[in-house]
Amino acid sequence: MSKLNAWYGRKGAAFISAMLATALVVSGCSTGGKSADGKGKEVSLEGRYTPNAEEPAWKLDKKESTELTWYVNADWWNTDFGNDVVTKKIKKDLKINIKFITGDDTKLNTIFAGNDKPDLITIFDGNSSVAQKASTWALPLNDLAEKYDPYFNKAAAQDTMNWFKQADGKTYGYPNYSNTQADYESGNIPATTAFIIRKDVYEAVGKPPMKTQEEFKSAMSLIKSKFPNLLPFGFNSIGEGTGSLGDVLQDYLGVPLEDKEGKFYDRNLDADYLSWVKTLNEVYRAGNISDDSFADDNTAFEEKVKSGKYATIFLSGTPQQGGNLQIFMSANPGKEYIAVDGPQSTVGNAPTLNQSGISGWMISYITKDCKDPAKAIQIFTYLLSEEGQMLMNYGIEGETYQVNADKTVSFLPAIKELQLKDADKFKKEYRMGEFMFFGHDRYKALSQDAFLDSIKQMQEWGKGKLKPHFILENTNPAPGTPEARALSAINANWSTALVSMVRAKDEAAFNNTLESYKKFLTENNWSKIAEARSEKMKENKAKLGIK
Amino acid sequence: MNAKLRKQDVDGRVFNAVNVALLLLVTIIIVVPLWNVVISSFSSGRALAEGGFIFWPQELSLENYRAVFNDNNIYQAFFISVAKTVLGVATHVFFCAMVGYALSKKNLRGRKLYVAMGVITMFFSGGMIPTYLLIKSLGLLNSFWVYIIPALFSYYDVVILMNFFRNVPDSLEESAKMDGAGDWRIFLSIFIPLSMPVMATIALFNGVGQWNDFMTTKLYITDQALYPLQMMLYEIIVQSQTQAMQSTAGSAVIETTTKGVQLATIVITTMPIVVVYPLLQRYFISGMMLGAVKE
Repeated sequence: MSKLNAWYGRKGAAFISAMLATALVVSGCSTGGKSADGKGKEVSLEGRYTPNAEEPAWKLDKKESTELTWYVNADWWNTDFGNDVVTKKIKKDLKINIKFITGDDTKLNTIFAGNDKPDLITIFDGNSSVAQKASTWALPLNDLAEKYDPYFNKAAAQDTMNWFKQADGKTYGYPNYSNTQADYESGNIPATTAFIIRKDVYEAVGKPPMKTQEEFKSAMSLIKSKFPNLLPFGFNSIGEGTGSLGDVLQDYLGVPLEDKEGKFYDRNLDADYLSWVKTLNEVYRAGNISDDSFADDNTAFEEKVKSGKYATIFLSGTPQQGGNLQIFMSANPGKEYIAVDGPQSTVGNAPTLNQSGISGWMISYITKDCKDPAKAIQIFTYLLSEEGQMLMNYGIEGETYQVNADKTVSFLPAIKELQLKDADKFKKEYRMGEFMFFGHDRYKALSQDAFLDSIKQMQEWGKGKLKPHFILENTNPAPGTPEARALSAINANWSTALVSMVRAKDEAAFNNTLESYKKFLTENNWSKIAEARSEKMKENKAKLGIK
Repeated sequence: MNAKLRKQDVDGRVFNAVNVALLLLVTIIIVVPLWNVVISSFSSGRALAEGGFIFWPQELSLENYRAVFNDNNIYQAFFISVAKTVLGVATHVFFCAMVGYALSKKNLRGRKLYVAMGVITMFFSGGMIPTYLLIKSLGLLNSFWVYIIPALFSYYDVVILMNFFRNVPDSLEESAKMDGAGDWRIFLSIFIPLSMPVMATIALFNGVGQWNDFMTTKLYITDQALYPLQMMLYEIIVQSQTQAMQSTAGSAVIETTTKGVQLATIVITTMPIVVVYPLLQRYFISGMMLGAVKE
């Protein structure tokens, strides 16, 4: 019997290896194909234009029409093109028609596997393997600029280009909302984090200070006793992350970005920060944080903001909540949310609020399969240039906005009214501020209209509190490595640990959770991740010219 | 004797009471969340923001439904959903029945090989990316037929049909042959009418699958005109999950859909299947039993 089994075993093994061999041969054959040519398509500019460093190529190009497809890795992207003021102008100026395709990572994978990439691709994660391997599927922007549109180098920020440089010294993708050191220093980019409180509540409880832990706790209890129907303290939806109670709170408290030797610093375990988490736990135990707040998704959170359910909110992303805050403000004059000084460091650190960093947000690439790379780089130049930025943010001068005597910009009254009264129509027919592939906050600073009134006071409060976090950007281990897997487990664990700590029923439970999180760290290769991060921070500093 | 009977009677009643109570409890557990979704979709956004569980509509309003139906794409999507479900189910059932019929005949040459090949597909699939490549080289990307052709065949359904056909007495077929009927005639006029219950079962399984499927659209369709209802629902729901990227988004604002509109869309997309289900259910139950036991 056992003999028979062995025979089967051997035969089975032979069969399987034969299958594997076949599979290898088959898959080996298919990897040739299109990607092998490597260089991408070249187009002749004969009869079109001569590249000129002083003038953007789109003004010179005589080509009558170009059709391009553009993949955006987000299901929510609005795929309309050419039907509203902003994209109609782009269509006319560049003589192009763009067909947008949207999807998620699954779709992105199939697109790459299918080897029929669209002309342009926009992704959201500069640390993903797709972005890391950009040199295999995208065209270098430096070469495209040199060949087809030298003006691009004037429109693009050099710091950002350097930051995105790959090992071969070339830059393949360009982001939006990439803020450079100079942007941070200019004061033109607004803070987006704030501790806010309803004005009526604030006044009714006698404007108590809320900077120290004792003050904070007693203020929350005071609010609870005077406004039993409100939730005293709210924060962003936690989801799978930490809402605004993780790194956002750390930034607010000014937890250091690196240790004294310039190495990776585990900010989650900072004593100053943890003492505030403990304070939040005490606030929770006093019944002043609702259990719902931990389970609410973003929609639920937004609707609570819209209806003013929270007395105070520790809010990350004020512009994103601007619309909801505005709705509450318009319906309840005198009760609007205002930013006040909230939790402060117990060891005297100053706040180091974060905003969009140099890595930006959406990153756009021109693929090697692009039908007309010359036209594609023209789109980049156009949208990056002042002309494109003004169009994207404010529309067309005289038609939708005017330039005032003090050089600021404002929407024409009818447009402003439409934006406030009928946001859907505004979005459909005008679409200002939404076609943001290369958007930058710098241009938003030009206008009083760029931000809603509801958040202006919050931005004013945040002035001078922003500090670049560039050294920490893209420091996660490479995707697919054991460290990356360990990190994602750690992050998930941290998310639940943080919630459990805030919800702990007594101090012992709080400490237990913290201890088991620390244990989880050591069990999951944390020291190796920290080491890799220190290494990447060093590389970042080299790129940024910080010693 | 009498006492024994009475005891049995009491036992039976206790059993029944416990049974009913338990089943009622299970039913409530199933129905309440559904009820909550329907009720919430008829409530105003402000009332929903209050949070908590609601059992009756708060501030009854149709604003959510108005918002959904204001979007013209929904009519097109509804048409696509209906078309792909009806056409997909009809062709799927007919195609599987043909294969099942042939495989149920013992005199079919190479039958064992076909069966073995079919069984392999039940355990292994090609995987997402190879399937994508196949669909692409078949030229089915961005085509309505991607909903129909790849969905034609399911070996699981073939097995059910095959077993059913095997139970049809041979004598029926023999007598038909004697009267001069060919294979097609026998299949269409005898086997199909006889196997209506099992075909209804398969139609129901497959119909629910077709109606609920959005993966096919997600992977193979980029043309919005070909989106079914479920894909629109998917997009609406996914919009509300954009929070995570906020800290990197500068001051860019992404619009999201309110909870009420999400729920209204869920109700609208689920309604047709809820309406059709009871109509097919009587076949469904008899179909499940059929072919299960061999006499």
